[in-house]
Amino acid sequence: MLEIRGLHKQYGKQIALNGLDLVVSRGETLVIMGPSGCGKSTTIRCINRLSEPDSGEILVDGQSILGFTGRDLREFRRSVGFVFQQFNLISRLSVIDNVMFHLVLAGLPKDEANHRAKMALDKVGLLHHGHKQPANLSGGEQQRVGIARALASSPSLMLWDEPTASLDPILVGEVLEVMEELVRTTQTTMVIVTHEASFAQKVAHKIALMDKGVVVEEGPPRLIFENPQSDIGRKYQRLIAS
Amino acid sequence: MLHFFRDGFYRDFTVLMLVTIAIGAVFSSGLAWAVDSHFGDSINQMIGDNGEYDVILHVREEAKEAALRELQRLTEHQFPKASMNETLTIAGQSNLFFGFPDEYKTQEVLGGLTGIFNGIPGLNGYTVILEPSILIRGVHPSVRSELQDRFQAISGVKFAFMDGLNMLVLLDSMEVSRTVSDQVKQILAEYQILELRFPMGFEVDTQQISDHVLDLVSVEVNAQHISNVSSAEYGEDLDAFLKTLVEMRNFLLSYASKVRIQADPGVHLVVGEQIVVQGMGDVLPVVGDEFATGQVVVEVLSVQGDQAEGMIIKGSIVDATSVLEQAGFRMRSSGDVSDLVGTVELENEQYRLAYTINESLRLLHELDELAMEATLAVDNADAILDTFQEALMQLEVLQVQIRQLNEGIAQGGGQSASEQLLLTLLLNGLMKNLAQGALPGQGEGSIDSLENLDVESMRLSLTNMAEQIGNVQEIDIRGIIDQIKHVRDSLPRLDDEEIGRSIRLINTYLGGQVIPGERVQLLVHQGTIDDKVLEPKIRDALDNPYVNIYETSVGMVNPDARSELFRVLKEIRATIAGMLAIGFVMGTLILDYATVFSTLKWVRTNKKVPRNKLVKLLNPVIVFGGVVGMISLALVYVFSGAEIPFVNLGVISGLGFIMGALIVIFAEKFSPIHTNEIMAGQSLGLSDVQIMREIVIPVSRPGLLNLLNRWKQRF
Ligand SMILES: Nc1ncnc2c1ncn2[C@@H]1O[C@H](COP(=O)(O)OP(=O)(O)OP(=O)(O)O)[C@@H](O)[C@H]1O
Ligand SMILES: [Mg+2]
Repeated sequence: MLEIRGLHKQYGKQIALNGLDLVVSRGETLVIMGPSGCGKSTTIRCINRLSEPDSGEILVDGQSILGFTGRDLREFRRSVGFVFQQFNLISRLSVIDNVMFHLVLAGLPKDEANHRAKMALDKVGLLHHGHKQPANLSGGEQQRVGIARALASSPSLMLWDEPTASLDPILVGEVLEVMEELVRTTQTTMVIVTHEASFAQKVAHKIALMDKGVVVEEGPPRLIFENPQSDIGRKYQRLIAS
Repeated sequence: MLHFFRDGFYRDFTVLMLVTIAIGAVFSSGLAWAVDSHFGDSINQMIGDNGEYDVILHVREEAKEAALRELQRLTEHQFPKASMNETLTIAGQSNLFFGFPDEYKTQEVLGGLTGIFNGIPGLNGYTVILEPSILIRGVHPSVRSELQDRFQAISGVKFAFMDGLNMLVLLDSMEVSRTVSDQVKQILAEYQILELRFPMGFEVDTQQISDHVLDLVSVEVNAQHISNVSSAEYGEDLDAFLKTLVEMRNFLLSYASKVRIQADPGVHLVVGEQIVVQGMGDVLPVVGDEFATGQVVVEVLSVQGDQAEGMIIKGSIVDATSVLEQAGFRMRSSGDVSDLVGTVELENEQYRLAYTINESLRLLHELDELAMEATLAVDNADAILDTFQEALMQLEVLQVQIRQLNEGIAQGGGQSASEQLLLTLLLNGLMKNLAQGALPGQGEGSIDSLENLDVESMRLSLTNMAEQIGNVQEIDIRGIIDQIKHVRDSLPRLDDEEIGRSIRLINTYLGGQVIPGERVQLLVHQGTIDDKVLEPKIRDALDNPYVNIYETSVGMVNPDARSELFRVLKEIRATIAGMLAIGFVMGTLILDYATVFSTLKWVRTNKKVPRNKLVKLLNPVIVFGGVVGMISLALVYVFSGAEIPFVNLGVISGLGFIMGALIVIFAEKFSPIHTNEIMAGQSLGLSDVQIMREIVIPVSRPGLLNLLNRWKQRF
């Protein structure tokens, strides 16, 4: 479903991606792990074109998405859900509006959008918080709104960029629970960037370890954590063992 | 960058620009107009409505009350029902407004304003604001009456009158002002004054010169009429000043040390040459050395044979008490001493003057004492005269007694003849001795001559003398002495170098000026003067290469005071509008456009690095901001009717560009944007215009952009 070939990205002199290759099958959950600054966010942003790669190729369902512009690009982005580390909610809109406004702007009638938004909020356990302002919610709840927002447009691919990294440790659990539930109950293809090794072990079909802008090792969690081939892999192995 | 506008935001942006420009123009011109009309009202209030007042009298503040009283008196006695008002006092000067009743607005009254107002205490002058009228400044005396007649013949003109050097043409109504003014200008244009100026030092007989060139000029300028109108009535102040300068120079020249140079045989001195002498210092000039302090440099002013005169231009001999005679050496322009030229005699005029004054002071002291002594002497002489007169009287008595005795003896009286003879001889001898004793050596008849001595007239002349001495004593010699001392003390304490420099300066200035009498004025009626052609011909004809010619008008039409004020006001309004336009555009750039610029800048950072070097270098967002600023400011400026003096539209456009570009550079400071939210919008498949309308603008600073967005915003 998703195929990345030879992706390069450079910020000035700083090389973020250095010929990255990655393949994800339909319905698969891929977890990307790696040290800070190795290019995880860049990778995942390139997939929905929040960042523009300098060279390389990204194919989704066999179609190159790097040539998309205007309407095509927006159409494509709507089919991809993105969950941000900082939640990125629209602070002036209420919870329900945050979840439905993009549906309305995409042309959906308001009640239809409202209905879908409520369903999405229900899935993350926030059905009754729709009238609130994001600022009045806890971090975990805010991230769940972010997840609901991504879910509302029924994406076929969901991208997660360290969704729990900026949460209080006690709030991390509720978000991981929602994520686990989603992976279990939907067929959506997921690309998740996270440092939560045990979570990865539990939900990932495949884990990709990144370092210095390339994938250094990839495979099913068991293989990666039990018999790591790379330095990064061995570090994670020790982490899980402890 | 442009793709950002492509999916619809260009419409919002265009509307924003149009609305900004429209509001900006209305705002700037409106506010400026309000200011304008406020001041306009004040002016009307101040100087009254048209025609209410005719003259503003400028009076020293402290004399204001007295002036008002005098005006009141004038009103009561000469101009009943005249109007009067007192307005602003500025910088110690009060302005009193005076309006004549209509029946007094006649040529006779108005032509004699100076006479009417010269009794006003503290008057510093007046301004005629008679309306409706046309003011012609500096009307040449030679054409005054001619112009007056011609102006009065124009329809719509009541009459014309002179006020000082200016002529006022009084109109029937404001409406004819334009047409009459045009005709007046036309008439004035027919006349020209052709002025021939001679530089300093030329003694000019104006009559002779004009006779000489009149025909030539007449042919050259093809004039209908031409006449000599040379007069000294022009520029009296300048003339006086120049005269003073000449006097000053002469004084300085006579006060400066006298320098006489006796050239050695074979040496040829020239005017302007500089000569070094030892002066009051100890250093003798030595060939090859440089000028040393204490030495004196002399400039040669005139040469006659081997004698020359000069002036000290460097150094000073003010301390010298006697004439100096020293060897003089040429001085090269490089400043070092060259060959010996002769003997230089330097005489300190200042010392001589001071010496003379001191001597006079001494003389006065002496005179004072002399007068006192003389009084004493006269008194003594008087006393002696008294004694002498008494003695003389007694002598007379004695003489009579002797004569009687003598006669008695002669008639006999029992004495013998020989006795008688002896007695007579004795008496005669006595008489003789007596007379001789009184005035020795006078011989016979001495007593008679003694008697002839006119004691009374002697006394009279003594009295006269006493009176004269008294007069001398009455003179306040002390006072004179004090005065002379004062003069001595207040003599300029200038050294020779300073005097030399001053004289040179005055000469330089006078060189470029013309002093009275050294110009000839010709009035040209309906001719065309081309001074480029005329000047060489006149120089030829007069055989004088220094004469310059100038062409001046016989008078200048001036806008009247009120229109002048309103013109200034209009200028101020245009300036205010310009400032407001700049302020307004700056405001909208900060409040509205900065938001757009910040977003554009952020969007650009996520793009691939552009390959085009030019685009890489010239940040397109900055260029865009500059263009937006330029268009906004230029249009607001033009539409608001703004006009800042000395600033053209190009400058304004440039300023707009710079403002726009600067706002782009500091856009995030003025209008921070929430990039997280924009990123979320992008990830949710929102178009750029939707991101602007729903995410960026609603939380931007309140402004036009924000306001206009309300109609488009859905959430
Ligand atoms: N907008 C940017 N401008 C300049 N450099 C950037 C930018 N974004 C990322 N980088 C650099 O690119 C490299 C990869 O960054 P990226 O955010 O993809 O790493 P990451 O693996 O997500 O790290 P983290 O775990 O800290 O989120 C880093 O060295 C980072 O400093
Ligand atoms: Mg990251």
